Amino acid sequence: MQFHRSILLLLGLTLRSEASAAEPVMEQGHWAYRPVARPSLPRVRQRHWVTNPIDAFVIARLEASGLSPNRPATKRELIRRAYFDLIGLPPAPEAVAAFEADPSPAAWTRVIDGLLAQPQYGERWGRHWLDVVRYGQTNGYERDAEKPFAWRYRDYVIQALNLDVPYDRFVREQLAGDELPDASMASLVATGYYRVGAWDDEPDDKRLAEYDELDDFISTTGQAFLGSTIGCARCHDHKFDPFTQRDYYALVAIFHNVRPYAVPSFASDSPTLLPLTTPEVATRWQQEVRTRLAALEAEMGSEQDSRKREALRRQLEELRANPPPFPLALAVRDRPTQAPATRLLVRGNPANPGDEVRPGFPASLTSEAPKLVPTSGRRLALAEWIASEANPLTARVIVNRTWRHHFGRGIVPTPNDFGRAGRPPSHPELLDWLASEFVVQGWSLKQLHRLIMQSSAYQMSSIADNVPARSVDEGNVRLWRQQLRRVEAEVIRDAALAVSGQLNLSMGGRGIFPKLSREVLAGQSRPGNGWEESPPTEQSRRSVYLFVKRTLLVPLLESFDFTNTTTPVGERASTTVAPQALMLLNGEFFQQQATAWATRLQREAGESTFAQVERAYRLAFGRSPSDTEQRIALRYLQERSLKGLCLVLLNLNEFVYVD
Amino acid sequence: MKSEIDHPPVAPCCGAKRRQFLWETGAGFTGLALSALLAGDGFFARHAVASGSAANVLPRAPHFAGKAKSVIFVFCYGGPPQMDLFDYKPELQQRDGQTINLEIRRGSVKPGTLLASRRSFKQYGQTGQWCSDALPHLSQQMDKLAVIKSLYADSFAHGSAMIQLNTGRIVQGHPSLGSWLAYGLGTQNQNLPSFVVMLDPRGGPISGAANWMSGYMPARYQATVLRTAGDPILDLSPVSGMSRAHQREQVDAINTLNAEHLRSRPGFSELQARIASYELAFQLQSTAPEVLDLAGEDLKTLDLYGVNDPKPTNHQLAMGPAHFGRQCLIARRLVERGVRFVQIYSGGGHFQENWDAHVNQEENLKIHCPEIDKPLAGLLTDLERRGMLDETLIVWGGEFGRQPVAQGPGRDHNPKGFTYWLAGGGVKPGSYGETDELGHEAVRKAHHVRDLHATILHLMGLNHHDLKYLYNGLDHRLTGVVPAEVIGGLLA
Repeated sequence: MQFHRSILLLLGLTLRSEASAAEPVMEQGHWAYRPVARPSLPRVRQRHWVTNPIDAFVIARLEASGLSPNRPATKRELIRRAYFDLIGLPPAPEAVAAFEADPSPAAWTRVIDGLLAQPQYGERWGRHWLDVVRYGQTNGYERDAEKPFAWRYRDYVIQALNLDVPYDRFVREQLAGDELPDASMASLVATGYYRVGAWDDEPDDKRLAEYDELDDFISTTGQAFLGSTIGCARCHDHKFDPFTQRDYYALVAIFHNVRPYAVPSFASDSPTLLPLTTPEVATRWQQEVRTRLAALEAEMGSEQDSRKREALRRQLEELRANPPPFPLALAVRDRPTQAPATRLLVRGNPANPGDEVRPGFPASLTSEAPKLVPTSGRRLALAEWIASEANPLTARVIVNRTWRHHFGRGIVPTPNDFGRAGRPPSHPELLDWLASEFVVQGWSLKQLHRLIMQSSAYQMSSIADNVPARSVDEGNVRLWRQQLRRVEAEVIRDAALAVSGQLNLSMGGRGIFPKLSREVLAGQSRPGNGWEESPPTEQSRRSVYLFVKRTLLVPLLESFDFTNTTTPVGERASTTVAPQALMLLNGEFFQQQATAWATRLQREAGESTFAQVERAYRLAFGRSPSDTEQRIALRYLQERSLKGLCLVLLNLNEFVYVD
Repeated sequence: MKSEIDHPPVAPCCGAKRRQFLWETGAGFTGLALSALLAGDGFFARHAVASGSAANVLPRAPHFAGKAKSVIFVFCYGGPPQMDLFDYKPELQQRDGQTINLEIRRGSVKPGTLLASRRSFKQYGQTGQWCSDALPHLSQQMDKLAVIKSLYADSFAHGSAMIQLNTGRIVQGHPSLGSWLAYGLGTQNQNLPSFVVMLDPRGGPISGAANWMSGYMPARYQATVLRTAGDPILDLSPVSGMSRAHQREQVDAINTLNAEHLRSRPGFSELQARIASYELAFQLQSTAPEVLDLAGEDLKTLDLYGVNDPKPTNHQLAMGPAHFGRQCLIARRLVERGVRFVQIYSGGGHFQENWDAHVNQEENLKIHCPEIDKPLAGLLTDLERRGMLDETLIVWGGEFGRQPVAQGPGRDHNPKGFTYWLAGGGVKPGSYGETDELGHEAVRKAHHVRDLHATILHLMGLNHHDLKYLYNGLDHRLTGVVPAEVIGGLLA
């Protein structure tokens, strides 16, 4: 075995190229590596339930196991689900009432289209994507310094989703926005994708750190776009999937020309900061600065008077620190020279380089070799290969991510791992049909939302009172009902702001710093370092704009299973722990929201406590309270206060779970 | 393949329903009565290798019977100097002032001037172990300590070295040792968190919370930072002016309404779990302050830890033993109540505020040694006389050691050879391993810190190879992919 392997390693290159010349070395065994084939629709008995092809696949599976689909959700449940799913905010009571009162079949379509047209859609779904690309605004580690303009990447993502930029284009822009023939400001900003990961500014071993950075690109790209853990093949062939160490280093070669991250500086030819202006303007500005710097330096050299020298020195410093008169983006930049040769590193060790490896794609997925020019275009070649309908993974993976956020569980329950160590799809044909339809519809994510949400499957009730179904499929793998879901940390915070009337919907920019208690800041080696306090109205903006500092996460987010900011996350955990309850009961933020909400209720419902309770329930849950609830609420309000009642409502299960 | 996904992880039967209810609670804070329910359910016999998503913080059987049930990890942040404390180097003492070439930063060999320790050393007790006069109290306890002088780690920089000592990797984003223990063993006290961190009042360590995060594991495994002054846990106390009775009423109102909500949503254990979490939060409001309340400790005990010792006046940064002593005593009270892993940071902030003695080694020792000396000796004595030392593992050390050459009057970082000591459950007292004659590099019985991690897990009854967590396609281990070994020479 040992002997056999070493021979293979020695002959690797030859074997590979011969094989690829003859025929594609397609991996036929594992479902995810087979080409997407558009399946024909299954024949089903309960055709009345089938609103669109999604339902045919779902009901076919249910019928095969003798299960029936759940009853439809009520209109109130449905509109709340749509709001939380698409924009991450609760519907206004008026929107619920209007939808409930509208019997026309088009009402549902109007709700969906209306929400997709709101800018809050991009914020909601942008955050899902930011999880996948390990977005953060600081480097992490000892100094945890800010990455200037990282936020532009976040804003790019939000805007791209709002504009429904076709997903294949979205992929190309992030991976190779600088190399596209029709590169734009937006596509340059998109390459911030490479720059928003963690970065150790003081690595122990610089050479290893260079490969760690490349590994971050490969792991993130593999998981985010391909649902593939090819990043695991850095030190040895992949243990489960058909990726060799050569495949890994072929990807290293693709990224090898990217200039490593460095502390971004404004004035120099920075590897990480790109001017968002025409090259002429940027060059002219740089030349001007250079000329003035040279003049000042010369003057300083000949100046004898120490006070005058000091003044000149200060001018020099100011000039160096002076930001340019045009915006900058945190982006990727290739080396101007030919890419360095890439060698396979034995056991991943930079001190132990092996054979040279040419840029390429994983051999088990394609026989295609990238068309390359020596200095650049490598990432574009990769982007073209990923953003192609021939790629078996790309469409499946994004369709599954979208599905996951509409049903609480992916068709493939491991969204970042479609490999053998991941879990198989519960509805493989549905996944393929969706993937194929997605491409047919021009890779439009908004169309995909429409398709999913128009299905009867999406519109089922989540109530699990069907005892036989529960006994057969308690985990709802076969989709006999919708899924009751706890909303994410951000949604809890945003919903509290929405019902209290404090939500500030302004978009974009560097981000906001909520007030953190002294106890929280005490965990830093320099308490308060790198944290600010935004003005109160700014602090009421949506959570997607909370500044993401890698070593100091906002406790509310952290406690409610915020993403891991250093590696791609396709599936956040959902844990329930006592400190969450403490935060919602006693934390300053929720106290403030309760106060504001109480004031709002008095303003909108007047002095009648009955009306106040009614309005509170309408705002928070889109419904009237039951008699029992009204009674409990009134008693609490009378014995304590309206603010106290508001706090109680913010703490309810119904506030953090959506039917 | 199909059958795997068709069945939910828990077979639906009435016993399992209760179990899942607690599962989903996941908290380190489940009511005792509830866990008693589970005891009759055969639940505790479940093996510790749980799959990621299904794991919980209820007590779980270890892989084998470990000697220790809890860990108190004293982290001397900044990097204490081995050659000034335990690693006596006569040759260094003789060659003071000589110039030699040494690796000061990775790959950077430079001439440096040897700096002999200004401390005097003696051998103590039956084991005859060396200790310097910087630690007069602890030196009386040398027969309890297994001192390993031959550890090494991978980074010369605080940021990555801290993260490696705490999570096994030099890159950020992995779960810390305490998270691994919480994941592997759960907690023994449902009313307290299983993983507690206490910080130095001068500040947190470099990289802050990244040192005690749960990385890719769920939030339930992350540390709870316990503050010894003010509100011990974030948002624990009701807002000012609110009585406990009022908070009780609040929780009752919430859960009465939650019960209404649950009635029309049968079968959702998560909703029940969240109801329980409010009860647990309420209980925590009395159990957490109770741990911190030292009123029940007699004067002799308080003195043992130096809790009432005055603040010294010799240096403005020096705090004396009172603060750290209080934390050590609280650590004892925590493990007494079943908390699995308590980490106390000695030193915070930067430079002389912690053990990072670039500026002046002697001054640094004078600030920090008296802070930990009496409390650590007191902790060992106290645990022993209570019969707890056999079940508690004490771990002492920093993210690296220091150089035998001078940096002015100070010393620079050195991950190539440094000292840790272990005491208590399952540990064999005595000296283990050696650095070279100058105390620079581990040369005899050298062990990477991953071996220290494997040893700690072993003493807690966990096999480092079997304790794994599947994430993004890889089985992750605390000790990583390079094979690690338990350091047999440290074991009783």
